[in-house]
Amino acid sequence: MVGIVELVVSIIIVLVAVALVIWLYFIRQGDAEFEFLVDQRTGLKLDSINSNVAVFSCKVPFVNKGMQDGTIMDCYTRHLLPREQYDGVELASWLAVETRPRNDGYFEALIVPKTTGETLDITLKFTAKDNDIKVALADMVDFSLDIVYQVVARREWYIAKQRMIVVADELIQALNAETTRA
Amino acid sequence: MNMELELIPVKTRILTPKDDIVDTIEKYAKDMIGPDDVVSVAESVVAITQGRITSPEELAPCFLAKVMCRFVPQKGSLSSVYGMQAAMAVEGKWRMAFAMLAGLLAKLIGRNGVFYELAGEQAALIDDVTGTMPPFDKSIVYGPHDPSGVAEAIKARLGCHGAAVADVNDLKRAAVLGVTKGLEPASLSKILIDNPFGNASQRTPIVIIKNYAKALAKANA
Repeated sequence: MVGIVELVVSIIIVLVAVALVIWLYFIRQGDAEFEFLVDQRTGLKLDSINSNVAVFSCKVPFVNKGMQDGTIMDCYTRHLLPREQYDGVELASWLAVETRPRNDGYFEALIVPKTTGETLDITLKFTAKDNDIKVALADMVDFSLDIVYQVVARREWYIAKQRMIVVADELIQALNAETTRA
Repeated sequence: MNMELELIPVKTRILTPKDDIVDTIEKYAKDMIGPDDVVSVAESVVAITQGRITSPEELAPCFLAKVMCRFVPQKGSLSSVYGMQAAMAVEGKWRMAFAMLAGLLAKLIGRNGVFYELAGEQAALIDDVTGTMPPFDKSIVYGPHDPSGVAEAIKARLGCHGAAVADVNDLKRAAVLGVTKGLEPASLSKILIDNPFGNASQRTPIVIIKNYAKALAKANA
């Protein structure tokens, strides 16, 4: 009877030890970890303008600072400009990876090797509701823009977001700089 | 024999589970295919037309998948928890677990590849997320079902010398998964080694190997 108990205890100890070793292996192995560096984004640049539409863009770098390769399955912008905050423009926003430009708003799933990164091109298209974009942007307000991303790596997929602030003064400066140059 | 063969990639639109691969070949390549030709088709496209796709959102990884994917090198499709779970769904999780254990033990004595030998065909054929072109870049694509049957169906419809379903990539790896009777997979693999299918965005999932039968007869003469 004592022998059986010793055997069972020994098996349990071995199993716990194996589980501990595997757990430590996982800890050491780590996983992908993405960071969108909105504090390092470029300033807004006016890409095009006509009487009622102005298109601006900026670049936002991102990195996989984790210890494993990771896949960004999807990534998109979500601008937060409710009509209660400002009702003078209609806003559309989209993004693309700088090295994989595309104009359809689709984000092609992207493997990002560990400790590397890429850059997003973020585009904002403002359409004046009263058909005069310069007048509409003159009263523009600051608003939030979320970069929403879906990641899959060693662990299960998740969706996260990184918020950046679009400052109205920056929009107006970009507009003025371009129109002055023109 | 390779020097005498002309390989003709055939462009198609994006194929989906609503398409039939034999109908597609007939639509896009019928006039280009002769009785001495071999028609080869990319395995991932065959699988997609068979509806053999899933997505991470549709899978619920089990504990074993979460553990086992950690032991697969990063570049492999099974290194993600969903690639592993997808393989388990078709090959059985206990078979995969046994294969991994055997593979790890075999590595200790210097033998590689045992895991994939024992885990089943789909373990080696699954393409994880990003493995296929949009809109399937967010999907997991299994290997095709009955590739030899598909090849026979292509031959019967198109009247060609033969047909093959092949898994080829830009890393000089070509595996012929299914062929019509009389064709040698190893020979076709060598012919397709330079990936005439191109990358996914080129949308050329069909490659006609022109005058294969004549070249073979000449080589054997």
